[in-house]
Amino acid sequence: MNTHKILFNSNVVIQRFSHSGNFVNPLKSPTPSFPTTCQKYQPISASAPPAATTARHHFHTYSSSSHMAAPTSDDDRISRITSAIRVIPDFPKPGILFQDITTLLLDPVAFKDTIDLFVERYKDKDISVVAGVEARGFIFGPPIALAIGAKFVPMRKPNKLPGPVISEEYSLEYGKDKIEMHVGAVEAGDRALVIDDLIATGGTLCAAINLLERVGAHVVECACVIELPELKGRDRLGDKPLFVLVS
Amino acid sequence: MFAEENGLFGDPRIKAISDAIRVVPHFPKPGIMFQDITTLLLDPKAFRYTIDIFVDRYRDKNISLVAGVEARGFIFGPPIALAIGAKFVPLRKPRKLPGEVISEAYVLEYGTDCLEMHVGAVQPGESVLIVDDLVATGGTLSAAIRLLERAGAEVVECACVIGLPLVKGNWKLNGVPLYVLVEPRLDDLERTL
Repeated sequence: MNTHKILFNSNVVIQRFSHSGNFVNPLKSPTPSFPTTCQKYQPISASAPPAATTARHHFHTYSSSSHMAAPTSDDDRISRITSAIRVIPDFPKPGILFQDITTLLLDPVAFKDTIDLFVERYKDKDISVVAGVEARGFIFGPPIALAIGAKFVPMRKPNKLPGPVISEEYSLEYGKDKIEMHVGAVEAGDRALVIDDLIATGGTLCAAINLLERVGAHVVECACVIELPELKGRDRLGDKPLFVLVS
Repeated sequence: MFAEENGLFGDPRIKAISDAIRVVPHFPKPGIMFQDITTLLLDPKAFRYTIDIFVDRYRDKNISLVAGVEARGFIFGPPIALAIGAKFVPLRKPRKLPGEVISEAYVLEYGTDCLEMHVGAVQPGESVLIVDDLVATGGTLSAAIRLLERAGAEVVECACVIGLPLVKGNWKLNGVPLYVLVEPRLDDLERTL
């Protein structure tokens, strides 16, 4: 058995799945490119976000392109979701107010409401792929994907995904990081939704958008449970719409 | 136990799930045939079958909490939790969870690793299901069981998409039953297309 053929020839590995999955012919390895659609990174300011605790109680915001009159039940659901999120001061370092969604996951009604709010928004938008950013995007993305009948694609830290990947580097406050996606997981023309638990500066989401666009997908929207508006992640996404439940 | 030996013999969903899993040879190192579930996630029907089989098994077992092992347990655990109305608790690598945690170390081939859980996430006496994508040596799942038992929970079962009995015929880990949908494959050449 010539396993080397399978190891080094990604065409062989991927085409064996064409009968059962949604892979199409894999791309030739893409050349890495620097982000062009997102603004240059702005450093996070050292001061803690002002009024962060009251900001949690704001109601959901829609992207600027759509405003709908929110029915009462939406407000009740958002209220419960907001209350279920725990704020931990000085994590991972002094001055940061960490928005902890694990307490939301411990409230089955609020967790279900979170998923329902996203599913209601996206079920008729012909989304073919939901991309979730490791690791908390893995918690919210798959339930949405299952409910709307879309593929789920994990966007992972380096060296976690086996087989051929494409990667996108992005800036952190100090240094750089990278996220990766499988070659062939997303096809040109796929309509994609990017999911993460929270948007801060938008660096990670920008990198995720770039990965999807590099393979020819159309990123319909980014969706997060929480936005930290003072960090201006929404601006960094440029023309890509952002939908959040709590900000 | 394998699902097919426990009520699902001949269920076509099992073959669909197995066929949707990709084997990547020599990852993360030579000799390991990596069972890659990402291709299962790209097949909405097969992914749906996976969750449905677990939900059908656990919905009437009064499970109040599903614990998922980082990171692939985060993909399978929450859909199960949502469908059965249970809480979801993430079991994470060190220093990822904010606030107070309890930790449990476990042994790797070289060295040790550690799994953490939030203090207060589990109440004593709760019935818990642990979920991960695959069980190999059982080291990670054993640590997960110990964490939950230290918090006073009763671990009803460990559920994995892929696995083998740790020793032939023995499907228990620290006394907790293991439920597995499919066995690992050696490579893709063996599958019938």
